[in-house]
Amino acid sequence: MSSPLVGPPVAKAKAMFCPNCGGPVEFRGFGHALTVVCPQCLSVLDASSPLLKIVQEAQDAQSRRTPLIPLGQRGKWAGTTWEVIGFQTRGVEEDGIVYEWEEYLLFNPYKGFRYLTNYQGHWNFVTPVESLPERRAIGSRPAVFFEGCLYKHFSGAQATTSFVLGEFPWRVKAGEEVLADDFVHPPSVLSSETTSDEVTWSRGEYTPGPEIWKAFALPGSAPRPQGVYLNQPSPYVGKIGGTWKLFGLMLLALFVIAGMFGALSRGDKVFDEHYRYSTADRGEPSFVTKVFDIDGRTSNLEVTINTNLINNWAYFNLTLINEGTGDAFDFGREVTYYTGSDSDGAWSEGGQASTAIIPRVPAGRYYLRVEPEMEGSETPPVTAAKPTPTPTPTPLFGSGNFSRPRPATVIGKSVYYEIVLRHDVATYGWFWFAALLLLLPPIFSTIRSIAFETKRWSTSDYPPTSGGG
Amino acid sequence: MRYAGYLIYSMMMLSTATFAEFRGWTLSKVDQTKVAPKTIRDNPGAYRSIYAFYPRYVGGK
Repeated sequence: MSSPLVGPPVAKAKAMFCPNCGGPVEFRGFGHALTVVCPQCLSVLDASSPLLKIVQEAQDAQSRRTPLIPLGQRGKWAGTTWEVIGFQTRGVEEDGIVYEWEEYLLFNPYKGFRYLTNYQGHWNFVTPVESLPERRAIGSRPAVFFEGCLYKHFSGAQATTSFVLGEFPWRVKAGEEVLADDFVHPPSVLSSETTSDEVTWSRGEYTPGPEIWKAFALPGSAPRPQGVYLNQPSPYVGKIGGTWKLFGLMLLALFVIAGMFGALSRGDKVFDEHYRYSTADRGEPSFVTKVFDIDGRTSNLEVTINTNLINNWAYFNLTLINEGTGDAFDFGREVTYYTGSDSDGAWSEGGQASTAIIPRVPAGRYYLRVEPEMEGSETPPVTAAKPTPTPTPTPLFGSGNFSRPRPATVIGKSVYYEIVLRHDVATYGWFWFAALLLLLPPIFSTIRSIAFETKRWSTSDYPPTSGGG
Repeated sequence: MRYAGYLIYSMMMLSTATFAEFRGWTLSKVDQTKVAPKTIRDNPGAYRSIYAFYPRYVGGK
């Protein structure tokens, strides 16, 4: 149903004169007003008396505020046209700081009165509540239950009216005090105002400023909201759970794909030889291995070096060379293993094996150049490029199993080692990396959501440090 | 869609990881040398790895 105020004819405001300054005083409230404020001298007048009896002498000019929505401005909200007929500012004082907000009184002759409140750019459309909310408690914190929702107590304080302008359907004047309590269930807030005579309840719905500006056709743009307001809806609510669910699904997909790689990767062992190196051996330590074949698609090659090092280290300069093309992959692996015990108990450091992954190795015939080093090794100078007898790596147990019995402890600087090459091996490294990256957005959103709620409740009577929120 | 951004991001992560794994890419560093000297086969000492002169860790607790 459309309001009779929509479209012409428009009801004209009734005008009278201020008994203090003689200036005109307009009435827009269709006889509902009990208090009216002279816009010139700011005297608060009794609108119920025929001659506008002065209730409060002119308010301090210093306290004059300019409403962001001018009195008399009309706007359409939820299908109803409302006219701004009153404006007041109220505030609460805490630690010597006054936190002040604005209240705009809206009137429609058929719907009655509503309010718009504004605190630092945060707007609420407020409707008086007819039924009484049911008082409850969440632990030691008060709460109220109203129309199926539980509202947590946010704060309670003595609110003082600091400035009034326009007309009001109740007795009002600057300096008036009420006990104001706010209960929140974003985006709603239930507010109670307690005086010595009565308790009134109202419900506010958080409304973005630009919507107010659009509804009342105000020039410019709405002031940017500062901070987080008590009933400001969190932009993360309802999204965090969904993001974590999606993360779970993606992680599952990642595991499935990784499992498929694990199942389909050939992992062909293309080379497995055992050697011994000793710093006591004279001559060139480097040697080349026999040629071996790598088949299949271009994929990675896993190089594993197993040793029997104990409290020692060895370094292996390795070069994988394609016999046909001469392409070489040059890399090195260090193996260190130290173990012992001290006053803290047994300890160990490093390991007896090391693995390297060579990427994108195409099929072909390859051989390895191996150059082991240990403490006491001296890297011989590069020898002239003339054919010299290829040093014979000390054969160890033929090509048998590395775990065959051998001397338990190697005396001196020597090491038994095994080189194993596997082609097309599932490494899963990229999947772990992807899982980590997938985890970042949900964690980031969760942290931001917690930070938002922390900021909200930090201004309440229950700051998070005392278990609020 | 509510989670379109995260969904697109996730799909990109999944497809990149799958492609990288399929191609055998690795995060570790391995130097590739184009055309190693033919003499390596006959004279391994004529070649020195680029890692040959790096300082070695000789630690222990």
